[in-house]
Amino acid sequence: MLGKIFGALCGLSLLFGAFCGRLSEVAAAIPDGANKAVEVTLTLLGMMCLWSGVMQVLTDAGIIKKIARLFAPFLRYIFPKAYKTGEGYEEICATVSANFLGVGNAATPFALCAMKKMQKHNPTPEKADDEQVTLAVLSTAPLTLVPANLLALRRAAGSADPFSIMIPVWITSLLCVAFSLLLTSFLRIRWRFLRTRALKTDD
Amino acid sequence: MIDILSALPMPLILAAVGGILLFSKRDRFESFLAGARQGLGTAVNLLPTLCALIVGVAMLNASGAIEWLANLFSPIASAIGVPAELLPLLFTRPFSGSASTASFVELLERVGADSFAGLCASVIFATSDTMVYIISVYFSSVGIKHSRAAFPIAGAVMLFCIFFSCFLCRMWFF
Repeated sequence: MLGKIFGALCGLSLLFGAFCGRLSEVAAAIPDGANKAVEVTLTLLGMMCLWSGVMQVLTDAGIIKKIARLFAPFLRYIFPKAYKTGEGYEEICATVSANFLGVGNAATPFALCAMKKMQKHNPTPEKADDEQVTLAVLSTAPLTLVPANLLALRRAAGSADPFSIMIPVWITSLLCVAFSLLLTSFLRIRWRFLRTRALKTDD
Repeated sequence: MIDILSALPMPLILAAVGGILLFSKRDRFESFLAGARQGLGTAVNLLPTLCALIVGVAMLNASGAIEWLANLFSPIASAIGVPAELLPLLFTRPFSGSASTASFVELLERVGADSFAGLCASVIFATSDTMVYIISVYFSSVGIKHSRAAFPIAGAVMLFCIFFSCFLCRMWFF
């Protein structure tokens, strides 16, 4: 996938550059871009080091578990099967709290583990079940309190107040989560309806 | 008030960590170093992908293609309230973290981090994620072939996120 994206970018820029007579600018962008990549990595490096260290301290001191417990009463209604069977429920809570604190990289292993455990209770192993779909959708637009990488990138880009977007970020992420839950629960109701109708016609 | 509220979570979390480091009986600084080392690895491993994609986006920008696209779409974009400058970010966001980081950095540099498009892009960058990548990795890891409604729902949420972010930034900042 990434290879195709990079290939398309190169091809398109050469074509466009030739058309608009800006090939020399395109050529100049190559070393500039490579330098910029190092700059961006350095920007993210400090923040990722700091934030991963902070998360490790919070995990080892048991604070992450406490935060996960804060989410648990709500997640019970969103993942009733995982809650009842106990398979994957803890990992779901951990995924949500890792995303909440701005460490998306830490959330992925938890989510994969949760998927694996939920798969044990999936009646149709080739098809995702309702709660697996919900977990995947929730991970694509997670609830976010501290977007650590974004703050580092904004500061590096010369923002006078990198924190100014915090409240809009909170409102948007809250509404995105609400919207995903609305859509998935709507579909769940429709699936249940289709399933019962299929059973009735079998009779 | 709003300034304080926005700036509060990060220092509060660090203060909590400080408290743990001060009062814990065990040496938690070891935990910090272990975690930070892991973060270092993650960040350094970003460079190979980022260097290809940032060069690609920088070339595309220098060739005038992004400007041309933005001009082409600007009447539609201004009609629906989404700045046309966001297009490269919106195209790359669902597929790849590195590609969208590259477009995001390029965008902030071009229009400024505190401009309207820069603010919208920041909110979208923070609240959306690489949906195609996430859904395919999650499901293929356990051998699920049929993702049911996951893609349409995630796509709808992403569209909502894009429109709502731009709407909110317009209300909030201007």
